[in-house]
Amino acid sequence: MSGPSSTSHLYRLGIVLVAFFVAAVLVGWWAVPSSWNFDVDHWYRKDALIDNAQKPMVYGGNESCKDCHEPAMKKLAKFKHRALSCESCHGPVADHVRGNKKFAAAKVDKSRWQCENCHQEQINRPKDFPQFSKTGDIGKFVKKHNLLEKKTLCLECHNAHDPTN
Amino acid sequence: MELPGDALVNFIFPNNAKVWWSVMIVLYPYLTGLMAGAFVVSALSHVFKIKEFKPIANFALIAAFCFGLFAATPLLVHLGQPQRAYEIYVTPHLTSAMSIFGYFYSGYLVLLMIEIWLIYRPYFTRMANQTKGFMGFIWYLLTLGQLEYNPASAKVDQKIIAVLAGIGIPWASVLHGYVGFVFGSVKAVAWWATALQPFIFLSSAIVSGMAVLFLMYTFIRWRQRQAYDFAMVRKYMAFLWGIFILDYALEVIELAFVVYERGYHWSLIEPLLKGPLFDSYAIMQMGILSVTPLLILGYVVLSNISGRMMIHMANFGSLILLLQVLFMRFNVVVGGQLISKSERGFVDFEWEILAKEGILTAIVLFVAPFVTYYIISRFIPIFDDPAAGKEGS
Amino acid sequence: MMPIPSPIEADTDSRREFLRNILAGTATATVLMVFGPGAMALSDPTRRTKNKAKHQFAYVININNCIGCGNCVRACNKENNVPASVFRTWVERYVVTDEGVYVESPNGGLKGFEAVNKKLRQNFKKSFTVPKMCNHCEDPPCVQVCPVGATFKTEEGFVLVDHAHCLGCAYCVQACPYAARYIDPIKHVSDKCDWCYHRVKNGKLPACVTVCPNKARLFGDLKDPESEVTKIFKEDQWMVLKPHMHTDPTCFYIGLPREVV
Repeated sequence: MSGPSSTSHLYRLGIVLVAFFVAAVLVGWWAVPSSWNFDVDHWYRKDALIDNAQKPMVYGGNESCKDCHEPAMKKLAKFKHRALSCESCHGPVADHVRGNKKFAAAKVDKSRWQCENCHQEQINRPKDFPQFSKTGDIGKFVKKHNLLEKKTLCLECHNAHDPTN
Repeated sequence: MELPGDALVNFIFPNNAKVWWSVMIVLYPYLTGLMAGAFVVSALSHVFKIKEFKPIANFALIAAFCFGLFAATPLLVHLGQPQRAYEIYVTPHLTSAMSIFGYFYSGYLVLLMIEIWLIYRPYFTRMANQTKGFMGFIWYLLTLGQLEYNPASAKVDQKIIAVLAGIGIPWASVLHGYVGFVFGSVKAVAWWATALQPFIFLSSAIVSGMAVLFLMYTFIRWRQRQAYDFAMVRKYMAFLWGIFILDYALEVIELAFVVYERGYHWSLIEPLLKGPLFDSYAIMQMGILSVTPLLILGYVVLSNISGRMMIHMANFGSLILLLQVLFMRFNVVVGGQLISKSERGFVDFEWEILAKEGILTAIVLFVAPFVTYYIISRFIPIFDDPAAGKEGS
Repeated sequence: MMPIPSPIEADTDSRREFLRNILAGTATATVLMVFGPGAMALSDPTRRTKNKAKHQFAYVININNCIGCGNCVRACNKENNVPASVFRTWVERYVVTDEGVYVESPNGGLKGFEAVNKKLRQNFKKSFTVPKMCNHCEDPPCVQVCPVGATFKTEEGFVLVDHAHCLGCAYCVQACPYAARYIDPIKHVSDKCDWCYHRVKNGKLPACVTVCPNKARLFGDLKDPESEVTKIFKEDQWMVLKPHMHTDPTCFYIGLPREVV
């Protein structure tokens, strides 16, 4: 019998498939990120650690205030609110300092909410946390405070850094 | 509404406000299922030698290929970064149930293509020999340059086709059971986490694939004013009915098991099924959409009804089954996410119409395989034997 | 027959070593898809302090100290630029009554909490606030399901997201039992709390810990014998969220009431 063998078309198909396979492997190899960690238990791009660490910081912590506000910080050490984070009321350092230079004033929210958010009496707060209530439930830690119903700012009478004095 | 976990008010975790897997992820297992189901029909002929299905074996294979081409498109639309989809081939994380899907799915498409190519090779060679110009070149490419088709090679091809169909059955089963595994293995979602999930997905896939194939068959026959093959229809309905009984039994067993177990799962699933999922699950999926086809197909199979009435009833039954499986996909995929991980509340599912993952996109992606089928059917004979040319060979 | 080892015997370490070797051997031999990184992690109860990394970070949330001010949520949002509809950390308020449990987290506790209404106030048995966040599990389901390795656990205990590699498929969002993950509505990639990796690498504490006024949130190195978290870990009075999920969190809760999910 003349003509092509009964399997020649299959060889041709095989060549096409092998060509596709080889091309896919080559492209795949090229596309794998260079720092890939080939360990199924830790299957990740190592450079992702660098990427994740590079995000700029917004909050500096109280130690970042010391550089410029050393005297004020020293005074603070005896105050009731000494352990609080400066930035939770004054705003994050990134909104205040850029490249070791002040570029905007640290804005303080002086509203009553700032005080009440922590110290208004609420049933969900720990029992030994200082709280103030308009009425009822007077105890060792929950104190009655008549002025709570008025619109007066807390800071008119209290020092935000040392409210008990 | 009854809430789980002694909740007085509906409380959902703040990050649960959105259903992250919506219509696209409903459509993805649906299309994959249509592919797997349609393939089974062709395999019933090629491997299990059910002679009634021989005339529709090629039709089933082409349809399976059309659904297969679009099965992964909903996933692509769903991705937040679709341009990175290639990563699933490049850095597949083998601990993930989803990681090998890329290989499995594309491997299966290649298998389908090779099988179709072998079946249509006699037609390709004849067209390449007859046609000139640009189309002639396309046909020539499709023959891979081998312009002769002799009886010896035909014999070899038939053997390979049977082998491919044989490999294709477990492959299609695993592919779709796999989709069920993707859901069933998520322990954090109580409504998904059952070992029966892969089997339910597989059996419902075969049901939906057979149903859609039958609707396509009757529609094409009706459009082309050709006679229906009643013997085939009866056999087909018997298979469809039988597999649906299996599918429904699995769905009932899954539910019965969770109900009877009265454990952690039921504490969350009970309020879900009595609340947000009551209509679409209890009334529709398990009720109307299951009982109706069970009765109708049972009647078609067991009675000696014939003629137009049989076709009408079989069509109606198939349509309802297609809907049943669609509801099942929705109830699993979206239903599971309605239970907030707070275990004290239910998430609201909001239908989107024009959004990226909305209904409109879903309709386009669902219609696309049928359009593709139409285009393919313009170029190759689907119901005629590809080896029997007009001049005869 | 081998004698049953007594718990008083001194060679516990070598026995554990032996057991670990056996378990590690079988784990590598089995199919990786089913037995992921967790299989080996679970076999060794001392992994937290015995792995070779220089640090082993852990987080402690003390429910007894939380006042529900929401400073942590606000700081987290600013530090990490978190979009409005999603949360890296949030605070829940529980009010337990005879009729059931009332839980809320208005806007994740971003603006603290309003006082509860009179009816609840009269009926409540107990009430408390619970900060939530990513638990940085030892056996994280999110890492297990990520199809491309775009989220991973570092040797020091951070579960991080590789934003440049993430597909945004949300499989990890589904797999997390704590709803700590979300798809960033702007960047379209998965995201979550990363214990402020960028801060810790620069010697700072996570933003939420920095601003917490009542030491309800602590962060430290379990390898540092002086750190507060080490002491708490050794006291062994901590709890984790959803222990039945077997994710083995490294975010420890103190005073966790049973109503918390």
